Amino acid sequence: MKNPPSLDQLIAALKVLPGVGPKSAQRMAFHLLQRDQAGALKLARAIGQALENLQHCERCNTFSETALCNLCADASRRQDQLCVVEMPADLMTMEQAQCFEGLYFVLMGRVSPMDGIGPRDVHLDRLLNRALDGQVEEVILATNFTAEGELTANMITELLRSRGLRVSRIARGMPVGGEVEYVDLGTLAQSLYERRTLSE
Amino acid sequence: MSQPGKVDRQPGYVLHTQAYRETSLLVDVLTRDHGRLVLVARGARRPKAELRGVLLPFHPLLLAWFGKGEVRTLHSADWQGGLPQLSGRPLLCGFYFNELLMRLTAREDPLPALYPLYGEALQGLAGAADLGSVVRRFEMGLVRALGYSPLLSQDAAGRPIEPARHYFCRPGEAPDADAPPAAVRGVWLSGATLQALADDDYTLASTQREARSLTRLLLAELLDGTPLMTPRLLEAGAGALSLTTGWPKAADPSTE
Repeated sequence: MKNPPSLDQLIAALKVLPGVGPKSAQRMAFHLLQRDQAGALKLARAIGQALENLQHCERCNTFSETALCNLCADASRRQDQLCVVEMPADLMTMEQAQCFEGLYFVLMGRVSPMDGIGPRDVHLDRLLNRALDGQVEEVILATNFTAEGELTANMITELLRSRGLRVSRIARGMPVGGEVEYVDLGTLAQSLYERRTLSE
Repeated sequence: MSQPGKVDRQPGYVLHTQAYRETSLLVDVLTRDHGRLVLVARGARRPKAELRGVLLPFHPLLLAWFGKGEVRTLHSADWQGGLPQLSGRPLLCGFYFNELLMRLTAREDPLPALYPLYGEALQGLAGAADLGSVVRRFEMGLVRALGYSPLLSQDAAGRPIEPARHYFCRPGEAPDADAPPAAVRGVWLSGATLQALADDDYTLASTQREARSLTRLLLAELLDGTPLMTPRLLEAGAGALSLTTGWPKAADPSTE
């Protein structure tokens, strides 16, 4: 027996979500239709609204409902520092840490040659334009310390080097409050390789 | 209790990872005795997962896994250390090596020469060694390990190679002192270079340069016309950003 076409369409549509295969999609569809129709309607509206209202901030590339996001529109932020992060979630975490008063650029991903994601896909051309607006003096790279995040940071460094900008990278090493005995070995090893001189 | 297909304390390297389900990771690893295989690392993407700082590419690990079938389950991964994190151009070369291994090796085909070859190449990348020779040695070693080693000791007529002469080389054929009758794809190499390659000696700049044309030809043959992403993507990006310096040329991330 075949499903009605609209049910099949819903199942097929749910499969676009990462990690959702045919079985999970079918389970979700039955749940939405049978157990939680109000939730289904809410979901449908939310997706529609988000698609309609959300755009990328023209300065920092994060999601925003206005051409300029709240942060970029805030004139009290430092205009001479630009922090580059991979995803909007990273931006939120940076903000929660309350350590940075400058502005951001969100790549919306990372360069990953093995997955076919190149510099264009992470908007390095837009980052270049943003960083060269004349006000930015320092670009702080806060991409992840994964191999791909590190590669992305390297590419941005090569891109911005020789353009009169200071490029820095967030530090890597022992976590705050970390104890040598319990920290994972890779972190400990790298913190030794990247140790700082305290006095000459 | 013994589990089916359990392998303990196997030296290996992570080649590539991708997200799997909510908190897991699918990891392609190159192991010493079991070749390349895919492991699922359960919970490796949880915020506080210990594996997070361990399952990184370009680092020697000790792996344990169990299970049957195509994807095994990672039991533990222990840090072996000894190499700092790669960055800059060596990191790019590391990605190039990993992509070559992912593309050219079959799963669960233990090639005994491959593991030490890769380990030495990573040591070379992490050390101050000259990148050109590290990359050439890895490429030639990989071609050899895969069983496509070109004949380097004598020419097509069975005579020993003479350093001063030039030879026409192409995949699957012995070096030929005479030009081929028809237009076939191949490269001219000096006898001195062929001898250096036979000795695995890449100290001379001329060896590196000529070896590059040979490895490019051999790898293109093995890759069967589908180019690698690492060099091509980065070059494409560089072009799109209208950059002039500091980016890799096609098919060779080691050149300055």
